[in-house]
Amino acid sequence: MSIAHRLRNILAEAWLPVSLVALWWLVSAGSTSLYFPPLAEIVAVGWRDFTVGPLVDYAAFSLTNLAAGLAIAIFVGVVAGVILGSYAPLRDAVNPYLQFIRSVPQVALVPLIIGALGIGALPKIWSISFACVWPILLNTIDGVKGIDPALGDFSKSYRLSRRTHFLDMVLPAALPQIVPGVRTALAIGVIVMVVSEIYGADSGLGYYILQSGRNFAVAETWAGTIIVGLLGYLLSRLFEVFEHFALKWHRESSAEARSRT
Amino acid sequence: MNTKETDMNTTPKSMTAATSPDVAPATPALEAREVEVTYGTGDTAKTVLRGLNVTVNPGEFVCIVGPSGVGKTTLLRCLSGLLRPTAGEIRVVGRTINAPPEEIAVVFQDYSRSLLPWMTALKNVALPLKGRGVAKAQREAKAREVLATVGLGDAADKYPWQLSGGMQQRVAIARALAYDARILVMDEPFASVDAQTRFELEDLVLELRDRLNISVVLVTHDIDEAVYLSDRVVVLANSPASVIDTVEIGLPFPRDQIETKGLHEFAELRGRILGEILQSRKAPK
Repeated sequence: MSIAHRLRNILAEAWLPVSLVALWWLVSAGSTSLYFPPLAEIVAVGWRDFTVGPLVDYAAFSLTNLAAGLAIAIFVGVVAGVILGSYAPLRDAVNPYLQFIRSVPQVALVPLIIGALGIGALPKIWSISFACVWPILLNTIDGVKGIDPALGDFSKSYRLSRRTHFLDMVLPAALPQIVPGVRTALAIGVIVMVVSEIYGADSGLGYYILQSGRNFAVAETWAGTIIVGLLGYLLSRLFEVFEHFALKWHRESSAEARSRT
Repeated sequence: MNTKETDMNTTPKSMTAATSPDVAPATPALEAREVEVTYGTGDTAKTVLRGLNVTVNPGEFVCIVGPSGVGKTTLLRCLSGLLRPTAGEIRVVGRTINAPPEEIAVVFQDYSRSLLPWMTALKNVALPLKGRGVAKAQREAKAREVLATVGLGDAADKYPWQLSGGMQQRVAIARALAYDARILVMDEPFASVDAQTRFELEDLVLELRDRLNISVVLVTHDIDEAVYLSDRVVVLANSPASVIDTVEIGLPFPRDQIETKGLHEFAELRGRILGEILQSRKAPK
């Protein structure tokens, strides 16, 4: 891709958000409304709390919880998904419960989990992983269920160990389904991360938003909200980059298969 | 190929004894004895194979032909240990098997489904050796060696989807060879490549059989291919299927796509097998 082409792509993507921010900046300048402070003030307050205030520590607390919660969810979701995807009788037995639990609003369980487990990072990590595990689990089950039976024949006839069969064949074959599950889980995780810090917290971005809101420090509330939004966006872009490389083989081989027929 | 010339004047039978010092000439490499396969139970039960006997001697090339849907693939799954027959037994070098034995490597019908798109050709070929507990460096050295054997020395680091259909099937064959099997079992291996590639792959498999002294069992619906490749052709027909004829192919080796297929005997053998298959379809079941 030429540099001019690349530049044009960036411009095509950026003109709308940039002009919206500029519009917000101009319209809100000189605003005296309590709930809609000038954007200039929001940015200044955010910058202040970020450089000399507690925001870096809060963001680190939140992101660590998110990372830990997501890691647990990925591990549990993929392992359980591979097992349930591989053994139909087990899957049929568990399926009604899965469908029930996935329909329960996970955010509603946060106060219960925190009430039961108390304050500190651990209950927040549990809240995040409990909410994130479902899309990963269900996608993994679907992915493993849909694997070509020819792969099973191959493993058997070449006497591959169970370990090799699952790690080198089943897991990569299901990856194109697992990855979108993780992407969904990431978005859910960001929301639960914030919600989990509204109860029994003394740190974190959610705590920052809630505290400032309670004290009518509305510029801080806005700043915290915008930071969470930016973080969520950044994380999903990072995930896209990961996905691009992890599933390159999948894109290329499906494209090749389509061109063959 | 030098080895080809030594084999040229020997008949398949004498080759059997000469090429397998570790196996008594009387012990077939692979044997199906009175095999019966029934799918399902009760009213919906369907018997696909009945009273089926096939013998493959060491170093022998046997093709199994028959009308489509007759149960060729079912038989192949039994022979490779993937499917346990309802009755009868499969023997590998005299030993009854209940699961895939280490002597057999299978080349599956559809290479695009059996090669793993997330691994390079090298990794694909090296994978079966993992099951044998071979160390990584040796696995990859062996994989490089067999890839070179099938003429793909340069393609080791390519992914399957970067290769043509014929090349992908070569990778699948290399993978079977890396496994160091004594018996190669192939399920319509050349059904999805173009005619010219098909001829090249046929000659490749013949050459490998000679060079490595392996037995090959190949299922095909192409009678020309069966006659061209085989020492013996096993004709399946009827429902449930059984062997209606075993045809010794006395054509000289090395085989040649133009010369061999131009021989009068080739046409005769082809006509005989085709006649039998057509006859079996007309006959009431």
